[in-house]
Amino acid sequence: MADPKMRILVVDDFSTMRRIVRNLLKELGFSNVDEAEDGAMALQKLQNDSFEFVVTDWNMPNMDGLQLLQAIRKSAALKHLPVLMITAEAKRENIIAAAQAGASGYIVKPFTAATLAEKLQKIFDKMGG
Amino acid sequence: MSAFAGMEDLLQDFLQEAGDLLSDVDNKLVDLERSPDDHRLLNEIFRGFHTIKGGAGFLNATELVKLCHLTENLFDKLRNAEMALTPALMDTIMAATQGVRNMFGEIAQGRQPDPAPAEVVTTLRAALEGAAEQKKAPSAAPAAATAPSTTTPPSSAPLAGPMRGLDWQALHGAVTGRPAELPVAKPAVEPVAKVDVAGLQPHFPPEGRRASDKPGAVASGTTSGRRADERAAARETTIRVDTARLDQVLNLSGEIGLTKNRLTSLRVDILAGRTDTDTLQALDQAVSQLDLLVSDLQNSVMKTRMQPIGRLFQKYPRIARDLARQLGKDVELALVGEETEVDKTMIEDLADPLIHLIRNAVDHGVESPQERLAAGKQVKSVVRLEARQEGDHIVLIIADDGRGMSPERIRAKAVEKGIINEEEANTLDDRQSLNLIFLPGFSTMSQASAVSGRGVGMDVVKTNIQKLNGSIEIRSEPGKGSVFVISLPLTLAILPVLLVLLGDQPFALPLSMVREILPIDHARMQEVGGKETLVVRGEILPVISLARLLGWPQVRPPEYGVLMQAAERSFILAVDNFAGRDDAVIKALDDFRPRGVAGVTTLSNGQIVLILDMKELLVDLASPNDRETRGGHARALEIFA
Repeated sequence: MADPKMRILVVDDFSTMRRIVRNLLKELGFSNVDEAEDGAMALQKLQNDSFEFVVTDWNMPNMDGLQLLQAIRKSAALKHLPVLMITAEAKRENIIAAAQAGASGYIVKPFTAATLAEKLQKIFDKMGG
Repeated sequence: MSAFAGMEDLLQDFLQEAGDLLSDVDNKLVDLERSPDDHRLLNEIFRGFHTIKGGAGFLNATELVKLCHLTENLFDKLRNAEMALTPALMDTIMAATQGVRNMFGEIAQGRQPDPAPAEVVTTLRAALEGAAEQKKAPSAAPAAATAPSTTTPPSSAPLAGPMRGLDWQALHGAVTGRPAELPVAKPAVEPVAKVDVAGLQPHFPPEGRRASDKPGAVASGTTSGRRADERAAARETTIRVDTARLDQVLNLSGEIGLTKNRLTSLRVDILAGRTDTDTLQALDQAVSQLDLLVSDLQNSVMKTRMQPIGRLFQKYPRIARDLARQLGKDVELALVGEETEVDKTMIEDLADPLIHLIRNAVDHGVESPQERLAAGKQVKSVVRLEARQEGDHIVLIIADDGRGMSPERIRAKAVEKGIINEEEANTLDDRQSLNLIFLPGFSTMSQASAVSGRGVGMDVVKTNIQKLNGSIEIRSEPGKGSVFVISLPLTLAILPVLLVLLGDQPFALPLSMVREILPIDHARMQEVGGKETLVVRGEILPVISLARLLGWPQVRPPEYGVLMQAAERSFILAVDNFAGRDDAVIKALDDFRPRGVAGVTTLSNGQIVLILDMKELLVDLASPNDRETRGGHARALEIFA
């Protein structure tokens, strides 16, 4: 598995959900986690601070997860950042839109630590190779 | 076992946050009724249900997920203008929202929610299908509309390095449960990693559920359900605090630590015999600083308990709207000062009185549309719910622009109900007459209509407000409307008190009840009906000796009187002397609470002082077997004195 000290940004407007994701990440050994309440705040944090991984919700006010993803991919400094999208939707339009925008992975709520681990592993594998 | 064993923390967070979110949705629904095409509102409501659904999934609350999902779909169609908002649809949505709220209640009691009422689900589904029917003719299925864009190969959206290897078709297939037939060009790199479907299933340990299916477990489940009911009736035990405020507490405690270190080193110096001017000055400085820091810390800690009253207010527009609709009235509840901060405990205790006052305003205050037109008013009435801070008090105002109250009619009604007699009625001025509605028995009977009659009268409202050391006043102008003004202390944790002395023993009286302090001139005391009285500015007031109230011997004639106002009566409490005023931090006597004692506090010299509960003491005085009770007080008080 990847470096457990890896700095991860969790983005969700629902603080309960941020806490869930945070706890699951902690279960997997990742405790260097910061949070943002929406895409706009996340982007600000990403620009001012160094993160190695982004886990973001899709549906959020101000700037949603897809817009955030697009902004990350457009930015020269951030475009290589892996982004895992979390959403309650398993609609194919959504998945394809996420893929086209350059999501590194897509996970549907609800999920367990095991599912999350699996998704992360896949992303890490690809980054390594 | 609760259905959410091991998830209690999560559950608390979810219920609080999702509850707030739902109240917010409720208010937006009320707004939406007025502006049904507001795209921003539709979006926000959609997101509300969507977010609740996401959280509910993690709690494995399948029924809640289902209901939210249906409602969310409805809003998806509304925001995409695939269907229009009709009054009937609005009712369906309101019912669904209520369904979600009921499910929160079930979850709070530690059990998985039952399915939503069948009629709600059926109407939701019917509405959704109706929309689909409408939509079918003009354009192809929505999926087709998105298809063209998906035919563009992913290369058009530049995938950065790490993403290249992902097989999105496989992922899509896994997520949707069927192979993706869309002609998405395969990435140049060999496809990797099929995503297994199992991994995407809601993945909660099924054991918990299965266990509760066993007959034995069911029995234990019901008992814990009952316990959970009790727990649900209890207060919220968690609180959300702005991190900035917690940081401030942390900073202050850090500074106090530093000052303590300074004092410790000064102590060493002083004990070693160094008492020169510099050392003493440093000591003086350190103590003053500590003084300042501690009071700052107290303030900061107090602030962590403060919550914006908007959290409470936001529940009301929906209640007012539903009630007005039921009564065929058009009422808007206008909220003012939602950001005003109030002690958390107080917010909880205000919920019921405020609901009652709002219902009262909508039901009795506001006239029917016909009456309003006849009176030359607009059909739509505005009930204002306002909060603001005035000095060290919080003021809440519930004002309507309705028919107002007539003092004569209230007097007549009170006489008719036998609450007061004619003679008493004639002595009352207008303000006192309006206050009659707070007497037990006044409002409960005739006002018990289908809507506002919940067996709670205005007397309960007043009692509840008084329990919070607050007061309530009415202003009313016939034809123009009524205003209820509630005044509350900022916090319940600190009570400004007046310290009085009986011999050497100090007692604390709540300062809010004290009107003035006067010397007792025994020559001017008069006996009326066997009771000692004193005339103060034309008002005949009974003089009650504190020593007698407590069942203590009257050693010498009391020298001072405290003019106090308790409930509706004013009296003079006779005491030996005063020791000043203080801000008491009340320590409750949990296991041992003698009647007439509200709690204890400590003075700066470490002495313990009882804070007296005047209302209880006065009740005892009035009761026939007071001698015995007072004996009890005396015994209880001796332990402390």
